[in-house]
Amino acid sequence: MAGMRISLSLTVASLKMYFRNRQAIFFALFVPMLVMVIFGLLNFDQFSNAEIGIVDHAKNESSGAVISSLIARNDGLATVEVGSEAFEMARLEDGEIDALFILPDGFGEPGGPVTVSAITDERSPQRAALAMTLMGQVLGILERGTLQSGNPGTGTGAAGGVADPAPHFGTLIQTTLDGDDRSYTAFLVPGIVALSIMQLGIFGVVFALVQLRQQGVLRRLKAAPINPAHFLFAQITTRLAVSVLQTLVLLLVGLVLFDVAVGNNDLASWMLVIVLAILGGALFVTMGLAISGVARTEEVAAPVTNLVSMPMMFLSGVFFPLDALPGVVTSVTQFLPLTYLADAIRAVVTDGAGVTDIGTELAGLAAWAVIVFAAAARFFRWE
Amino acid sequence: MTDATAGPFPHGLDDARDAVLAGTAIIAAHDLRKQYGDTVAVDGISFSVTQGEVFGMLGPNGAGKTTTVEMLEGMREPDSGSAVVAGIDVVKDPMAVKRIIGVQLQSNAFFDRLKLTELLNLFARIYGTKASPTQLLERVDLAEKGGSLFKTLSGGQKQRFSIAAALVNDPVVMFLDEPSTGLDPQARRNMWDLVRGLKADGKTVVLTTHYMEEAEELCDRVAVVDQGRIVALDSPGALIDQLLETGFRNERPTREATLEDVFINMTGRALRDE
Repeated sequence: MAGMRISLSLTVASLKMYFRNRQAIFFALFVPMLVMVIFGLLNFDQFSNAEIGIVDHAKNESSGAVISSLIARNDGLATVEVGSEAFEMARLEDGEIDALFILPDGFGEPGGPVTVSAITDERSPQRAALAMTLMGQVLGILERGTLQSGNPGTGTGAAGGVADPAPHFGTLIQTTLDGDDRSYTAFLVPGIVALSIMQLGIFGVVFALVQLRQQGVLRRLKAAPINPAHFLFAQITTRLAVSVLQTLVLLLVGLVLFDVAVGNNDLASWMLVIVLAILGGALFVTMGLAISGVARTEEVAAPVTNLVSMPMMFLSGVFFPLDALPGVVTSVTQFLPLTYLADAIRAVVTDGAGVTDIGTELAGLAAWAVIVFAAAARFFRWE
Repeated sequence: MTDATAGPFPHGLDDARDAVLAGTAIIAAHDLRKQYGDTVAVDGISFSVTQGEVFGMLGPNGAGKTTTVEMLEGMREPDSGSAVVAGIDVVKDPMAVKRIIGVQLQSNAFFDRLKLTELLNLFARIYGTKASPTQLLERVDLAEKGGSLFKTLSGGQKQRFSIAAALVNDPVVMFLDEPSTGLDPQARRNMWDLVRGLKADGKTVVLTTHYMEEAEELCDRVAVVDQGRIVALDSPGALIDQLLETGFRNERPTREATLEDVFINMTGRALRDE
C-alpha cells in the first residue's frame, strides 16, 4: 500500500516536471506533428523512380511498339516490366509497382480495341502520375507516327496493302486502386504515431535518466527508503500518459488535416490504438531504461540511442512500405519491435482491424517486451 | 569473551559494541571493508558515535570518508565488517536504517522542476511522515522560497534545502557530506549555526569535511581517515595537544584574528544569496 502511494506521488511529481519542461513537450507533440505534415504534404515517395508493370494481352506489333517506346523513352525515370496479369496485379497490390498498364487482346489491330487501361496506386500519386505521363506521351507519338505514314500498324509486319483505317493508340483509361485507405497519408499517419511512441519512450527516458544520474538525483533517491521499482513505475507511467496524449493528438491531426480515419472512427478502433500506444510505450520505455543503464553519460547516450532507434526509424515501414526494401533486409526488419507496432497501428487505423487481426504483431511485441525487460533488469543502475 | 558472539553483533564489536550496550553509542562500525576492483577504498574501519555528538570525518580526497559514510547510510554494502545504527544492522536491513536517518549528499541534487514545497511533500510521502514543508523551510531560512523551483536556487540555498529535505523524517542521525563546500563565509557560518541547531535538538550528526576550522568549530570528536584507515580519533583539542606534545610548533606567528574574521567583520554575517 505504502509502495503504491509512493509510486503515485512520484508519478504525479514526474508528470508535473514533464509538463513544466516546454522543450520536452515541443519534441513530444509538435515535432512528430511537423514531420507528419511535412511528409504528408511533400509525399515523400516522389523522389524515386516510377515502377511500371505492363500486361500484354495483344502480343502484336502495336503492343510491342508501345512497350519498346516506353522503355526507350523513360530517361531513367521509370522501370518497366512485363508480366502476367495476375502477377502484376499482385505487385500493384503490394505496392511494388506504382502503375499497371493493360494492353488488351488485339490492341491496335484493325477494328481492335485501342484503349489502354491503367491502374495506379494512390499511395504513390507522384510516381503514378509520372507513369501516366510517360504512357500518354508514348501513345501520342505512336498515334502521330501512324497518321503521318498512313501505314497501319507501326512496323513492317502489318498486313500489307490492306486499306484498313489506321489503328489508334490514343485512349488511356485510368483507374486507381481502392480508395482513401490507400493514400500515402493513410500509410504515413499510423507510421508516425508508432515512430513517436518509440522516440518518446527511448529518447525521453534515456536522456532524463542519464541527466538525473549525472546530477546525483538518483543517488539522493537511493539514500531514501525507496524501492527502485517505485521510481521506475513512476517513470514508465509518466511516459505512458504522455504517449497516449501524443498518439491522440497525432491521430486527430491526421483526421482533420489528411482525412485519415481511425478504423471507421469507431470507439473500439480508437481504444485499440490507445492500448497499442500503452503496450508499445511500455516496451520502448523499458528499452530506454536498459539503454540508460549501458550508456552512463550523455556523450555515450546520444550515439547508443541513435544506434538503436535509427535503423528502426527507416527500416520498420514508417515512411515507406517495407516492400520497397530488398528482400534480404526485410527478412530481418520484419522482426523489429517498431515494425510490429507500426503494422499493428496501421492495421487498426487503415483496415479497422480488431485484436484478433493483429495477433502476430501483439505476439511480436510481447516477445520483445520479455527481452527488453530482462535487459533493463540486468543493466539498470542508480549511479 | 563469554558472550562475544551473542546479541545482534556477530563479529564482536569490542569498544563500539560495549558502548552500544551501555546505551551511549548510536552508531557502531566494526572492521568495515570495501574494495573497488584493485582499489581498497575502506581498509578496516571501526569506530562508534555517541548519541547527541557531532562526529567529524576528516581526510584528503579518496581517503574513504564518503564510502564509509555510505556504508553506514545503507547505500553501499560493505565487503566485510558490520555496522549498527540506532540498533539496526545496516547490512541486514538497509531500508530500516534509511527510514530513521537523514542524509545530505555532496551533490545536493533534487528534481530541478519541482517547487520546494512539492519536493518536501514528495519526500514526506516517501518516508511516510507528515512533516510541514513550511516549518522545515523556516528552519533553514528558505520560508519565502517554498513556491520556487529547485533549479532557481543558489548554491548555498540548495545546500540548506538539502538539510531541510533530510529532516522530513525527524531523523535520529544526520549524515552531512561536506555541507559547506563551495559556500561563501557568510553561508558557511549560517550552515554552522544550522548544525549547532541540530545538535541542540539532540540529533547525532556525522559530517565529513575538508575544512579544519569547521571541524574544530563544530565537532565533539573527529576521525582522521587516510588510505581507508582511521589514523587518529579524538576531540579536536586533544588531537592538537597530542601534536604539540611531540614538540611541533607552528612556523607562523599566532594572531588573535584570521583573515576570515576580517572578511566577516567587513561584510557582515547576513546571508547574501537572494
